[in-house]
Amino acid sequence: MGEEGTKGTVHLLCLAASSGVPLFCRSSRGGAPARQQLPFSVIGSLNGVHMFGQNLEVQLRSARTEDTTVVWKSFHDSITLIVLSSEEGTSELRLERLLQMVFGAMVLLVGLEELTNIRNVERLKKELREALSGFAEAAGTAFGSLVVSGRVVAATESWWRLGTPEAVLLPWLVGSLPPQAARDYPVYLPHGSPTVPHRLLTLTLLPGLELCLLCGPRPPLSQLDPQLLDRWWQPVLDPLRACVPLGPRALPAGFPLHMDILGLLLLHLELKRCLFTVEPSADQEPSPEHRRRLLRAFYTLVTASHFPPEPGSPEEKVEDAAQRSQVPRACYLVSGPEEPGTGWRLVALQSGPRRLLLLSAQSPTHALRGLATHTLHALTPLL
Amino acid sequence: MMASPISCSSRHSPDELPGDPSSQEDEDCDYEDRVSYSGSYSSASSDYDEVEPEWLDSVQKNGELFYLELSEDEEESLLPETPTVNHVRFSENEIIIEEDDYKEGKKYEPKLKRFTKILKTKSLLPKRYNKKNRNDNELVSILKHQSNQKTGVVVQQRYKDVNVYVNPKKLTVTKAKEQLKLLEVLVGIIHQSKWSWKKSGKQGSGERLVVHGLLPGGSAMKSGQILIGDVLLAVNDVDVTSENIERVLSCIPGPMQQEILYHCPVSDASQKLKSVRGIFLTLCDMLENVTGTQVTSSSLLLNGKQIHVAYWKESDKLLLIGLPAEEVPLPQLRNMIGDVAQTLKFMYGSLDSAFCQVENVPRLDHFFSLFFQRALQPAKLHSSASPSARQYDASSAVLLDGLPGVRWLTLPQEIKMELDTALSDLEAADFAELSEDYYDMRRLYTILGSSLFYKGYLICSHLPKDDLIDIAVYCRHYGLLPLAAKQRIGQLVIWREVFPRHHLQPSADSNTEVFREPEGRYFLLIVGLKYYMLCVLLEAGGCASKAVGNPGPDCIYVDQVKTTLHQLEGIDCHINERLTSSPSPCLSCADWFLTGSHEKLDNLTTSPILSRLPGTSKVATSPTCRRILFGDYSLKTRKPSPSRSSGGSDNGCEGGEGVGLSPHAIPNAVWKQRESQGSDGSEESGALLKVTKKKATLPNPFHLGNLKKDLSEKELEIYNTMKLTSGPENTLFHYVALETVQGIFITPTHEEVAQLSGSIHPQLIKNFHQCCLSIRAVFQQTLVEEKKKALNRGDHSGSTNSISSLNPVKEYGVLFECSPEKWTDQRKAPPVMAYWVVGRLFLHPKLQELYVCFHDSVTEIAIEMAFKLFFGLTL
Repeated sequence: MGEEGTKGTVHLLCLAASSGVPLFCRSSRGGAPARQQLPFSVIGSLNGVHMFGQNLEVQLRSARTEDTTVVWKSFHDSITLIVLSSEEGTSELRLERLLQMVFGAMVLLVGLEELTNIRNVERLKKELREALSGFAEAAGTAFGSLVVSGRVVAATESWWRLGTPEAVLLPWLVGSLPPQAARDYPVYLPHGSPTVPHRLLTLTLLPGLELCLLCGPRPPLSQLDPQLLDRWWQPVLDPLRACVPLGPRALPAGFPLHMDILGLLLLHLELKRCLFTVEPSADQEPSPEHRRRLLRAFYTLVTASHFPPEPGSPEEKVEDAAQRSQVPRACYLVSGPEEPGTGWRLVALQSGPRRLLLLSAQSPTHALRGLATHTLHALTPLL
Repeated sequence: MMASPISCSSRHSPDELPGDPSSQEDEDCDYEDRVSYSGSYSSASSDYDEVEPEWLDSVQKNGELFYLELSEDEEESLLPETPTVNHVRFSENEIIIEEDDYKEGKKYEPKLKRFTKILKTKSLLPKRYNKKNRNDNELVSILKHQSNQKTGVVVQQRYKDVNVYVNPKKLTVTKAKEQLKLLEVLVGIIHQSKWSWKKSGKQGSGERLVVHGLLPGGSAMKSGQILIGDVLLAVNDVDVTSENIERVLSCIPGPMQQEILYHCPVSDASQKLKSVRGIFLTLCDMLENVTGTQVTSSSLLLNGKQIHVAYWKESDKLLLIGLPAEEVPLPQLRNMIGDVAQTLKFMYGSLDSAFCQVENVPRLDHFFSLFFQRALQPAKLHSSASPSARQYDASSAVLLDGLPGVRWLTLPQEIKMELDTALSDLEAADFAELSEDYYDMRRLYTILGSSLFYKGYLICSHLPKDDLIDIAVYCRHYGLLPLAAKQRIGQLVIWREVFPRHHLQPSADSNTEVFREPEGRYFLLIVGLKYYMLCVLLEAGGCASKAVGNPGPDCIYVDQVKTTLHQLEGIDCHINERLTSSPSPCLSCADWFLTGSHEKLDNLTTSPILSRLPGTSKVATSPTCRRILFGDYSLKTRKPSPSRSSGGSDNGCEGGEGVGLSPHAIPNAVWKQRESQGSDGSEESGALLKVTKKKATLPNPFHLGNLKKDLSEKELEIYNTMKLTSGPENTLFHYVALETVQGIFITPTHEEVAQLSGSIHPQLIKNFHQCCLSIRAVFQQTLVEEKKKALNRGDHSGSTNSISSLNPVKEYGVLFECSPEKWTDQRKAPPVMAYWVVGRLFLHPKLQELYVCFHDSVTEIAIEMAFKLFFGLTL
């Protein structure tokens, strides 16, 4: 520790709030899971300062060094999550959402009851470890991002009505489980049903295309026999096939996207859906991963400092009246070296319930807003 | 009327007001008389004892002087308000404020408690202590003294503070035994919980801690102050009951814990923060160990309010400043703590010497009371007469106070040259008594440089950037700049030893050929007269003789600086003209773009106001244009004033003074002045004559001849072309341009902003500054990364990481929409106006930052605007 070994690392700690017993710790470096862990004494102190404050009714929320941000969050007075991130461009907002999602994932897998009434720490530790072993590692890179590794192609109305944590977490979960033709997986819904488990049934219709059903004790998986599936899905097999390659691109083939656009993120705040892609002009620099990070950093920047938070998001913002009468509508950012024609341009546009973020490499600054407006217009029928 | 910052935070018992007769000297003599002895008094010789400068009595033992004589009108307005931190003697004509006159503090009641001392003033404790315990005869709180947990006792009224020795190490032996025994083990107080609350039934909130017995040999008994029947109310300022006493006691840190050197102010929130200092110390140590970088800030929730705490670590000391997030956003707080550290180091050499010397405590109290006032009530501090100027000050402070630069006023070349000459003459120190030949001995000080402020704007500087900023931050902190913005200064003399980083930092270059700073001492001399303030940095040692002890201000130097200011008095009107004529670049008012109806929108392009406002600068040249402009303007914004200004006959300088004297808005005075100009063109020549006459007294009569005329025609033409935005209309609302290399920034003057009165515009300005603050925070991140990159050049290990960040951000823009606050027309939607706030960072060729705010109708290219703005912007 100490020497340049901490650059770009993220440590996630989960402790039982009352006893301070660590339930699990995860570390990642450069987006990949890492072995390197924080020494036990550091974990103890990190938890200690938070507990110490709480005893005196001072709630420690975050701390920053020149390159690291630490965020503490307690859930139901029972679980304390701590994240320490030295990834560049980390923002508090992002870490807070990460913790929200981590706790959501814990509820999803273990249930709220188990987490708030910790009777047997060792048992819980074991359970969490088992449940999270695959999930957390796989989702580790996706945590806190807006990216859903498995995208929802179509869903019933009631699926869309799921609360934010489970709506985001369920596709992650499906994506993180080892491939199987069919699964019957017990889940708690962090928002909708944190104490009573539901069953998540998944059926692989085509390679890369899974059908997910959320249901109560019935029906058993065996009832969803192949014939039933055939009857319902055979007629739409062609459209289904067409869906599969769409995956990463997210937009229908032939959609008139401007050449300059290298990545986009469209949020519909009321429907709580988003459309995301970093595939356009995939042959150009930067790499899709880089694009994703740029968009993510820009998203947290504009959400934290300008645009109002999404409805239902937990973090409240300090705003005074004067600022509210001045409503932010758009935002752009030019990054990169001084030379003209280099670097990235990012633009965000808010229009009604829709928020569009674009990444572009070439567009001149003054054309960014026009580009965003046109793109948003073109995308409106889709979302 | 607001008190000046110097007196705002001050306290003084009213009965001392009647004043010291000794200070009543020369109340009737006017300025000329007062300076008549300039140069005639020398501290080196006692021959001249017949005239003493009036500030001489105020010089303190350590040589420091803070002498302020307000102008008469200012004084009147202040008289009813009594409180002052400093010792104040009122005479009929002057107020003398002496800093640090605390020794004779018989009647001095500190609001700000020192924590290295035992509490003395009971009146400071929150009232609820009294209320809650009205029925008790003896109320006790235990105060642990931080350093060694041994201290004395103070008893007053019906409750007392007792300091007892508490050693938490005892715990390790006894902890396991039983619950609720810390009180016995650590303090030696026996409290039988079950007894008393059966009757009172106040279980929920916890039971009062009545002392039922004392443990033999325990700390409580040893203290001799705690009696059976007393009630324990608070431990280390934390209220305790039976419910939380154990937790509170368990949090008492061991004796190895660091000492609190200074703590300010006394408030519930601040006590709370003090009680959780363990968090800050632990975070500071631990995070530095884990991450290898220093902790900069943390955020916590206290009584439902979010509070940011900024950290500043120097050697083994830690400075913490906590402020509510609502009031002070984090980026601002970070700039503020940097400024505090910088100012304290400038004043005391290091944070160590600032905080570790007992005699500094009252000074620090004063320092921090000013600091908190600036942070939390900026509007109160900026006590300019006009509400619009005050509003502008308050809403811009969030950004401007944190900029590493001084507010600069661009002046026409001729005036600038004159100022330069005046300062150079002073700096050469070649006048009679200052020249070494005169007494045939070494001079006392070398003048390293000086900078001149007018109404709070820097107008001329011959100081290295670092020195300039050090001095400006000092002046800003003590509220000197707004002080001079109105004519508030009768006479100001400040003298103190300072520690400018530029001269004291050891040079990294080991080359002996390179210039080395002499191991000298440095002194800051500030002299203020009316609107002017001249800051001079002096060096003792090196070429000049070595300073011995704590030298006070030397009269020759003070007088020489004063003389220089008197010489400059004639230029007043030119500078004022520049201030009021708002030449560069032209601004528009947001409200003009808010014309809801269609026809007005069409009008926009041909609107006389819009097309002419840029022409405000023509004021001094073409009377016809001017008249039309003002005709329009007064129709639109204000009723024609019934009475002409009486100052019409004497426009230039007098008009300027009118600004200061008038209790009403500055714009009024400005308009009056202009109207009078406009109504009678011949007056201009009169003013010219007058100016020339005044000039004749200047030591350098060479630049006289063509001064005025050339200026009005040539310069103003240049200014006329200075429209920053593109397109037919001027769409620029506001701007801030920071030139980091020279340490200056330019932004519209108060006068310019005051002309753009409207309902939306002030909100836009406020929002602009707040938005710029967050944009600038992103730029600062970029600069940090750039610096790191420059350090690690050749070592590419960090490159994989940087892809996740947006850096280096060089341009950042936000589009806002706004509409009028009160829109009564139900049938129509309120009109909407959209504007951009754009920040641009330039790394090459030199570091510059530009922030502009303009209407959405035209697409602007920031780099072009920057080119126009920065062009010719030099000290």
